[in-house]
Amino acid sequence: MSSAIYDLGYQRYTGVRHGRAYSIRTLWWFSVRAAFGSGRGEQARRMPILVTALTFLPALVQIGVASASGALNFISYSNYLEFSALAIALFVAAQAPELIVNDKQNGTLSLYLSRPISAGDYALAKLAALTTATTVLTLGPMLVLFTARVFLPVSPWVAFKDEWTKLFPILGGSLLVSLFFGSVALALSSFAIKRAFATASVIAFFLLTPAMYGVAQSVTAGAVRRWSVLLNPVLVVSGYSKWLFEIEASHRSAVGRADLPGQAYLWAVLGVCAISTFVLLSRYRKNEA
Amino acid sequence: MSLISARDLTKYYGDVHALDGLTLDVEPGIIGFVGANGSGKSTFLRTLLGLLRPTSGTASVLGFDVQTQAMEVRKLVGYMPEHDCLPLDVSGTEFVAHMGQMSGLPFIAARERAAEMLRHVGLHEERYRLIGTYSTGMKQRIKLAQALVHDPKLLLLDEPTNGLDPEGRDEMLELVQRTGRSFGIALLLTSHLLGEIERVCDELIAIDAGKLQYSGSVSAFTNRTEQLILETDDDVPELAARLRALGLEVTGAGLHLRVGVRDDGTYDMVRDVAADLGAPLTRMELSRHKLEELFTNQV
Repeated sequence: MSSAIYDLGYQRYTGVRHGRAYSIRTLWWFSVRAAFGSGRGEQARRMPILVTALTFLPALVQIGVASASGALNFISYSNYLEFSALAIALFVAAQAPELIVNDKQNGTLSLYLSRPISAGDYALAKLAALTTATTVLTLGPMLVLFTARVFLPVSPWVAFKDEWTKLFPILGGSLLVSLFFGSVALALSSFAIKRAFATASVIAFFLLTPAMYGVAQSVTAGAVRRWSVLLNPVLVVSGYSKWLFEIEASHRSAVGRADLPGQAYLWAVLGVCAISTFVLLSRYRKNEA
Repeated sequence: MSLISARDLTKYYGDVHALDGLTLDVEPGIIGFVGANGSGKSTFLRTLLGLLRPTSGTASVLGFDVQTQAMEVRKLVGYMPEHDCLPLDVSGTEFVAHMGQMSGLPFIAARERAAEMLRHVGLHEERYRLIGTYSTGMKQRIKLAQALVHDPKLLLLDEPTNGLDPEGRDEMLELVQRTGRSFGIALLLTSHLLGEIERVCDELIAIDAGKLQYSGSVSAFTNRTEQLILETDDDVPELAARLRALGLEVTGAGLHLRVGVRDDGTYDMVRDVAADLGAPLTRMELSRHKLEELFTNQV
């Protein structure tokens, strides 16, 4: 290996220089790839691939069962987001630290901030990246289901005409749910200095909140008891997706018993996204000149 | 237009004055920024980049205010931090190209510049390996490559020879010098080693506990601090007096004297006076530059 530093004639760069938006987009795409472990060796890819498989699996199983038995009503969008909530939570618990704590731990954040982007830009690019990556996991399987519902029936064109309006809640729902999980995970991770602590805190959050809901269910009554359903993120996602696809919750389910107006869940999701985003931004903007 | 200028730049961390009323103007060239560890050098660089908000005072780089026009500053400046700052799970070429894109270079141009810079710093062979597998010296060179990838007008190098072996230090200093002289890139490098600064820089800024100690040319500075150590077996009081009478600066007393070296003739003068007085000279040695001397000998 040669260790000499050569001078082969330094050349000036006189080409195009793009602006801030380009830098933000660059960081976004780089981080989306990082969330899937792309270009980072075997180890980094294992977990994302596993989770991706987990989220697509139920869709493929449902299709298999539906096409074998001919019972197309087996396929349901609104349940899907609930089913995948666990896998999504694990994904963001692992990858949010990968996206922001690594840069802090190995000092790369200083290099990024010496580029023409602000600390706020950095944080938003990371949020957009994790949301994009998570959307692959929420949207992908639902699009698979949608395709099945269109192509499995005898007449796909008729089926499409019936189904196509579902694309709006599918897109909106998967995006917002991705933002929900992603923003919470990033906000929590922004306080950590080590990846392991960040992952632990996100997992703790997703374990503690249902526990708090459980406690609230036993010790409170009346309206408070009903509204405590909003403490549990998975139930919030469940209520939100039922509202989105205009489906009645079964009276035996937690959401059904809570009997809240559907919009309550929408506002809960939006509220959590807003608060988490605010926390994330303030963590990064502290030192900015 | 000054390359870098500061007016009463101050940064407090609680009681610690990292920068204390710093006022200076620096013209383009190769500038050495010297001070002991913890004297405020890194704080100053980070303030120039807008990474730290000063407690009070102002500063500007290439005419742009560091607080209100930080983006313009960062487009024109390359930064090589002192601390660890590299991701370990990415290859050298991918990282440098990515940083090029982060500075606004289009994808293909970024990859080309990255390849050029990596060749430049001697990492052409190793460019596809993960940074985590690099030695300290190689990591230092990647840091330099990413600072140069977007062809900046000013390079800020914070302790660039940190962690390099003697050969690597020499090469790095040579590269730094070439970058400044032939490439037309202004450089500000920090170091706690005065010897390095003397070797490479034209201008010198010395800082201690956040306060400016000296700002001017390197040659003027080193001439002022070059000292001859004289040791005698017996106390010869007339020795100091005679040397002072010849216009030389003499400090110390008794068996240990220090004489300020004015020019090449100083050595002969000292020898002649000592011989004339019959002083039992046991030691006549040029003192090694120590940074502490800067600040204790009333430079």
